[in-house]
Amino acid sequence: MAKVSFHVSLNSVSHVFTDGRLPLRALEDIFLTVPAGQFVSVLGPSGCGKSTLLRIIGGLVRPSSGGVEVAGDAPNRAQATREIGFVFQDPALLPWRTVLGNVTLPLEVTGRRRELAPLLLRLTGLSEFADYYPHQLSGGMQQRTALARALAIDPALLLMDEPFGALDEITRTSMRYELLRIWSAAERRRTVIFVTHSITEALVLSDRVVVLSGQPGRIVADIEVELERPRTPEIERSSAFLDYTDYLREMLNPSRMQGPVVSA
Amino acid sequence: MMRSVLRVIAGCVVPPLLAFALLIAFWESYIAWRDVSIFVMPAPSDIAERFADDPGFFVEEGWWTLYEATLGLLIGSIVALLAAVAMSYSRPLERAIFPIAVAIKVTPLVAISPVLVIVFGFGVMPKLIIATLLCFFPMLVNATIGFRDVNPAQLEFFRSINASPWQVFWKLRAPGSLPYIMSALKITYPLALTGAVVAEWFSGTRGLGYVIYAAWLNLRTAELFAAIAVLAVTGVFIYAVLSLLEQRLLFWHESVRSVR
Repeated sequence: MAKVSFHVSLNSVSHVFTDGRLPLRALEDIFLTVPAGQFVSVLGPSGCGKSTLLRIIGGLVRPSSGGVEVAGDAPNRAQATREIGFVFQDPALLPWRTVLGNVTLPLEVTGRRRELAPLLLRLTGLSEFADYYPHQLSGGMQQRTALARALAIDPALLLMDEPFGALDEITRTSMRYELLRIWSAAERRRTVIFVTHSITEALVLSDRVVVLSGQPGRIVADIEVELERPRTPEIERSSAFLDYTDYLREMLNPSRMQGPVVSA
Repeated sequence: MMRSVLRVIAGCVVPPLLAFALLIAFWESYIAWRDVSIFVMPAPSDIAERFADDPGFFVEEGWWTLYEATLGLLIGSIVALLAAVAMSYSRPLERAIFPIAVAIKVTPLVAISPVLVIVFGFGVMPKLIIATLLCFFPMLVNATIGFRDVNPAQLEFFRSINASPWQVFWKLRAPGSLPYIMSALKITYPLALTGAVVAEWFSGTRGLGYVIYAAWLNLRTAELFAAIAVLAVTGVFIYAVLSLLEQRLLFWHESVRSVR
């Protein structure tokens, strides 16, 4: 049998938070393999453990049990070699640095060439805002900066945790296609794992959607999205897109999901 | 442009000046009206006259006191910042340092001034020590909180790019603590001035504290008040410089942005 190499693989990963009063089972028995270059969305309701899953893959959280490999190595090792880029919901920019300064930060930390920063700003459409400070930017612009900053270490794997979750609907919609443009403009296909609770967002962006149930998070569906690329807003009105939407909505239906039953 | 400058002058400079002038006028006329002896309370005109007699004397003594206070502030702040770094990284070190800091804080420093005179004589040393000790505690407490108060999302980003602890400190914790350090300076610089003046009472041969003490002994009340006025102006000057510095350094911080 030929050995298939995956960029990311999770083998029976479970995680329990024990710092609260009651142990909280966040993830249970997750098996997930992601080939290099794939854009995967992890879709699920709030509190289903999707952010924890992302932090486990990124080496920021150690799972209670199970094995994780990123590029054939432990996640924290992959992180140490700057394989992994992060974009969080909170852009967490440094308020005392300009846009350019924020994008330069990871270059300073990793000792890469600072001249790369202007290229990243051009890629993310921020060139004109290089000298602005974060508080002078809209939420969408801040998130673009966070994306440029994550790309600065040239990660093979990009982990995005509801990056557009705090944006207004209009900005959010345009940022999806911006992200697609930036992702496909790169000279190499990065693997992306994108956490969201928006079905449309997951479908517009991804090659594949993984649906997580709520508490504890389990994988309840895993589908390939066979919509043609490059994708444009028109795709959201296609019948295939609507079929996918219906299917995912059904998968997310709370009655299908196991979890605490709220009684009146 | 010209109009906006005029508006600033009309809005920010005129009201306090007017209030101050009224206060002086009241003081002057009260003393003239009740014929108060100059040994009890000098009139503003007496004070101004004494100052105008020899302004160089007051400015020189004022510089000396300011010099002592500033040097004490620098030493106290640097030691406090180093201790704050240690405390913010290690709870055992915090437990070791903090009780000493509190002891320094609660001991009335006026009480140890005579001791310092015995040990260090009448030179600059006792003034420096008092100013340093007064500055130490507020800076220590503020800076420790400042170094610890880090946005968790920013810290997580630094972790995600595998930044070293050194980089996390210089690129995240240190700039993030600046608002706390600036607030501490606004408290400690005037404290250092107080400390220097008090130490000069006990062991001064120079400085405004010494001038006040000598004038008091000889009932030269106009001179005493002139020295106090110079001290007040010095304090206001320090505060203004610190506020300007704060505006410059903390343009990104809510505390400065919300004022604009």
